[in-house]
Amino acid sequence: MDIRRLEPRDIPLIQHANLENLPENYFMKYYLYHALSWPQLSYVAVDVSRPKKTPYDYPKIVGYVLAKMEEEPSDGVQHGHITSLSVMRTHRRLGIAEKLMRQSQLAMVETFGAQYVSLHVRVSNKAAIHLYTKTLGFDQEKTEPKYYADGEDAHCMRLDLSSIREQIRDAQLDAEDNENDAAAAAAADDDEHADEGEPVGDAGKAEDKKALPNRPKETKRKVKVGRALGVQALVEKDESKHA
Amino acid sequence: MPQPLSSKENSLFRQVIRNYEDKQYKRGLKAAEQILKKNPKHGDTMAMKALIINQQGKTEEAFALGKEALTADMKSHICWHVYGLLYRHQKNFEEAIKAYKFALKLEPESHQIQRDLAFLQIQMRDYQGYIQSRTAMLQARPQLRQNWTALAVAHHLAGNLSQAEKVLTTYEDSLKVPPSKTDYENSEAVMYKNTIIAEMQDYQRALDHLESIAKTNLDRLAVLELRADYLSKLGKKEEAADAYRALLDRNPEHPEYYTKLVEVLGIGADGAAQKAIYDEYAEKNPRCDAAKRLPLDFLVDRELITNLGDDFREAARGYLTLMLDKGVPSTFANLKHLYADQSKRDTLGSLAHEYLESKKASSDGSAPADGDSLNGEPAALYYLAQHYNYHLSRDLAKAMEYVDKGIELLPKNVEFHMTKARIWKHYGNTRKASETMDEARKLDLKDRYINTKAAKYQLRNDENETALKTMGLFTRNDSPGGPLNDLLDMQSVWYLTEDGEAWVRNGNIGLALKRFHAVYNIFDVWQEDQFDFHSFSLRKGQIRAYVDMIRWEDRLREHPFYTRAALGAIAIYVSIYDRSQATNGVNGSEDANGDEAAERKKAAKKAKKEAQKAEREAAERAAKQDPNKSKGAAAEPGKKDDDPLGFKLAATTEPLAEATKFLAPILQFSPKYIDGQIAGFEVFIRREKYLLALRCLNAALALDADHPTVHEQVVRFRQALNSKVESLPPKVAEVLKSKFTIVDDTTDLKKFNASFQEKHKDSPPHVISTVKTERLLGADKTKTEKDLAGVLSLKDASYEHAEEVLAILRQWRSGETDTFKAAAHEKWPEVTAFA
Repeated sequence: MDIRRLEPRDIPLIQHANLENLPENYFMKYYLYHALSWPQLSYVAVDVSRPKKTPYDYPKIVGYVLAKMEEEPSDGVQHGHITSLSVMRTHRRLGIAEKLMRQSQLAMVETFGAQYVSLHVRVSNKAAIHLYTKTLGFDQEKTEPKYYADGEDAHCMRLDLSSIREQIRDAQLDAEDNENDAAAAAAADDDEHADEGEPVGDAGKAEDKKALPNRPKETKRKVKVGRALGVQALVEKDESKHA
Repeated sequence: MPQPLSSKENSLFRQVIRNYEDKQYKRGLKAAEQILKKNPKHGDTMAMKALIINQQGKTEEAFALGKEALTADMKSHICWHVYGLLYRHQKNFEEAIKAYKFALKLEPESHQIQRDLAFLQIQMRDYQGYIQSRTAMLQARPQLRQNWTALAVAHHLAGNLSQAEKVLTTYEDSLKVPPSKTDYENSEAVMYKNTIIAEMQDYQRALDHLESIAKTNLDRLAVLELRADYLSKLGKKEEAADAYRALLDRNPEHPEYYTKLVEVLGIGADGAAQKAIYDEYAEKNPRCDAAKRLPLDFLVDRELITNLGDDFREAARGYLTLMLDKGVPSTFANLKHLYADQSKRDTLGSLAHEYLESKKASSDGSAPADGDSLNGEPAALYYLAQHYNYHLSRDLAKAMEYVDKGIELLPKNVEFHMTKARIWKHYGNTRKASETMDEARKLDLKDRYINTKAAKYQLRNDENETALKTMGLFTRNDSPGGPLNDLLDMQSVWYLTEDGEAWVRNGNIGLALKRFHAVYNIFDVWQEDQFDFHSFSLRKGQIRAYVDMIRWEDRLREHPFYTRAALGAIAIYVSIYDRSQATNGVNGSEDANGDEAAERKKAAKKAKKEAQKAEREAAERAAKQDPNKSKGAAAEPGKKDDDPLGFKLAATTEPLAEATKFLAPILQFSPKYIDGQIAGFEVFIRREKYLLALRCLNAALALDADHPTVHEQVVRFRQALNSKVESLPPKVAEVLKSKFTIVDDTTDLKKFNASFQEKHKDSPPHVISTVKTERLLGADKTKTEKDLAGVLSLKDASYEHAEEVLAILRQWRSGETDTFKAAAHEKWPEVTAFA
C-alpha cells in the first residue's frame, strides 16, 4: 500500500475504481478539473505490490479521495469539500479511507486556508457514516432529501478544521522558537503569535497591509476563474448529476 | 477589407455577434438573414451565419457557407477566424491553425484570434509556434503575471529550461514589493521555477532557491519532498535523513520515504538496522500498515535463527497474526508479491496453517460471535483459500476445501462466495464462476463493487445481455440509451472492453467493433479534454499540475486500457480481411468460416431484435417520465447513433486501414509490448508493407526471440519474401535482406522449424506454434492435426492451451476436433469450453 498525492496519470484508474465501487460517476474531465485546480487535495492509495503484467502497467488504485475547495462558498467561508471517496472492497479494514481523508484535510488547511470541510453521504451507508462521525469527527448538519439520482437522501456533514490549524501553528511556533534561539528574532514574527483564529496562510498579515497600496492583489485573487471557460459548465453539469 | 454596411445593419451585425456569444442562435440567424437580404455577399455576415448554423449541428452546410464567405471577402479577418473555428470544431487542428494565422495577419491586434491560435498550437504541441504566440501576448499585456508564466511554460515544454527560468525571474525582478504570503499564484510560480531549476539538475541551486522560498510556501508537502530529494542528491545525508523523517511523521504510509531514509542512512545491507527503522515507526503509529509490512520485503528466511530481529518467519508470523486477528480482507493481496520467493511462499502458507490450528484449538466449534466478521478462524480460512487459488501456489481442490469451510462458518459472507467464484474461474468453469459471483452479489445488493464483479464474470461467461442488466442496477437509466448509454457517458472502459471481447466470443463482430471503437473514441475525448485547461490552468495558477498533465497526455494512449481494446479491434479487422480474401478465392483453400458466418448472422439478427426491443422500452420509459424532472434525458439532436449494432463497422471494405488506425498508437507508445508488435506484423504483412512488418518482427525478436508466435511469423515472413522478392523494388529488397538476418533465403524452413520444436518440445505454446508452422510449410494435414492434439499429453499443458488447440482444430475443420474435445473434457471436467 502506498498513500500519496494524486497525479494526472492516475486518473483513468481512479475513474475505474470509482465506476467499480460507487453509483456516482464522473467523466475524466471532472477528475482533471480537480487535479488541476487543487492538486494538493486529492490522494490515492496504490497497491504497489501488484506484479506487473505489461511494461506499461499503471499503478493500481485501490482507494482515492477526490477533494476540492468550494469555489463560491455561499457562507463566504473558505472550505473544502469531498467530491468522492472510495476504497475497494478487497482493501477494507486497513484504515485507508481515514488516512486519505487526513492527508487531504491537512492540505486543505495548509494550502488553501480551509476553515472546515463538508461532504454528502447516503443515509443508508452505515460504514461511511461511522467513519465520518466516529473516526474523523464530522458533525451531521442536516439531511438533504432525494439528493442522489436514485432518490436516496443525503446527510450533509461537516468537520471543523481548527484543530489542524492549531497543530500547524504550534509546529510553526516551535520552528520559529528554534530559529529565534539560533538567531535574533525579528519583531514581525511575534505578531504572528498573537494572530489567533486566522488561517495559517494569512499569517503574514502585517506585511500584507504594507503591500496593498502598490499591489491590488485582493482584486486579482478574487477573479473567478472557470467562468466562460467550459470547465465551469462542466462543474454545473456534474453537480446536477448527483443532485 | 470589411465591406461597408449602413449604420442600421452595422448594429444588426453587432447583434448577431452578441446573439452568437449568448447562444441565442435563432435570433442571431434572423438578424443575419436581415443583413443578407440587402447585402447578399456580405462576407462577415455570411461567416457569422456559418458559425451559427454550425452550432446547430449543420456542419456541412456551415462549411460551404464559410467558404463562400471567404470568397466574398478574402481580406476579412472575421471570415478567416470563422473558417478556423469551423475547422477547429471538426478537430482539423492543422487547417484551423492556418486559418487563424491568416486572420491574425489581417488583424494583428486581435487578442481573441491570438488566443485561439495559441491554444491550438499548444494542443498540437507546436512549441515554437506557441512560444511566438505567447511572446506576442506577453508584449500586449505584460502587466499580467500569467502571461509571463505562460511564456515560461512554453519554453519549458519546448525543452529550453534556462529560458523558462529567465522569463520567470524577469517577472519576479520587476516586482517592487514582495508578494503577500497568501498570494497563491506567486506561491505556485516560485515552486514551478524551483522544479525547473531541479530539472536542469543543478541541485545545489535548487536547494538554495527552495530554502529561500520554503518558509512561506503554501504547498508544504512539495517543499518537504523536494528538499529531502535535493539533500539526498547532494549527499547531505544527515540533513536528508531528518527531512525524510519529517515526511514520515506526516505520512508513514508512503514506502518511498522509508527506502530513501534507509538509503541516506547507508544501512541498506543491514537487515536488522533497517528493521529497527521500520519498528520505530510502527511503534509511533500503531495504525500504520507500511511500517509493519514492508520489512517482509527484505527480511530473509533463516532456518537457524541467528538474530530474531532479522528473521522473515518471525516478522511474517507477527504480521499475519495481527492481520488475521483484526480480520483485514486484503491480507493476502498485501502479501502475494512475496510469493515470487518460494521460501517466503512456503513460510506464509505454513504460518497460515499454524494460525488456523491455533484458532481451532481455542474455539469450541461454534460460529464466531461477530456474525459476519472475517477475523480469527474464518480469516485464516479466507487466507488459505486465496493462497491455494494463487497461481504460484495453486491447488484448486484445497482452495475449494477452505472456501467451503468458510462458507459453512459464515454462510452470508460475500468474500467467501467471491473467492469461490474466482476458484471456479481458475478451473475454467466460467458458468459456475458467473453463477457463484452472482450469489455473492445477492448477499450485498447495495454494494456496487460486488455488482461489478458479477457483471464482469457474466461477461467472461459470454452473457452480454445479463451482464448489462446487472450493470443497470447501478447505472443511471433515465436516458433513452438506458444503462449502456450511462456506461458510455461515464467512460466505463473496462465494461466496454469486456463486453466487446464477449461479443467476439459470441461471434457478433459488429457489436464487438462497436465497443472497441467506443473505447477508441473515449481516448479521443480524453485527449480533447486537455484543451480547456490551456487557459484554465494559467488562470488558476496551478502550473506544475498542468505541466504534469501535458506530459501525461503526450503518452495518453500508452495506457493498457487503450492497448487491450485496440488489440481486440485489430484481431477482428485482420479476420475480416482474411475472410474477404478467402471468399474472393485469392487464397481460399480453407473455407472454415461457412458455419461461423451463418452463426454470426443469426447472432446479429438476435442482437438487432433485442436492441429494437430495448429502444422501444426506453422510448416508453422516456415518454412516461416527468419532463420537469428528467435531467438531460432527452438526447441531444444529432447525437443519435446511426449504427448502434455496428453493422456498418463490420461491413467495412477497408479492414486493414481500420486496423492500422488502432495499431499506430500501440507501436508509437507501447513499443515494448510484444503483443503489439505481433499484431503490427499481422497487419503490415497483409498490406504487403514488408519494411514495416519487418520492423515489428525485429522489435518482437529483440523483446523475446523465443516467443512462439514470433517464431511462426519469422517463417511466414521468409516465405513471403521468397515468393515476393522479384516484385519488390530493388532498394526495398536490399534493405529487407540486410535487416532480416535470422533466416536467410537459403534456409530450409522445415529444418528450422523442426529444430525450434526440438528446443521447446516440452512447452505447449511452442509446440502449438511449430505444428501450425509445419502445416503452413505443407506438412500432411492428418499428421499435423494429430500432433496438435498431442499437446494434451504434455506435462505442462493447461486447459487454456487445450482451448487454443480446440480453436485451431475447429478452424482447420479437423476430424480430430470432437475426439480432442472429449479427451480435454475428461482431463478437465470443470472447463465450460469442453462441456
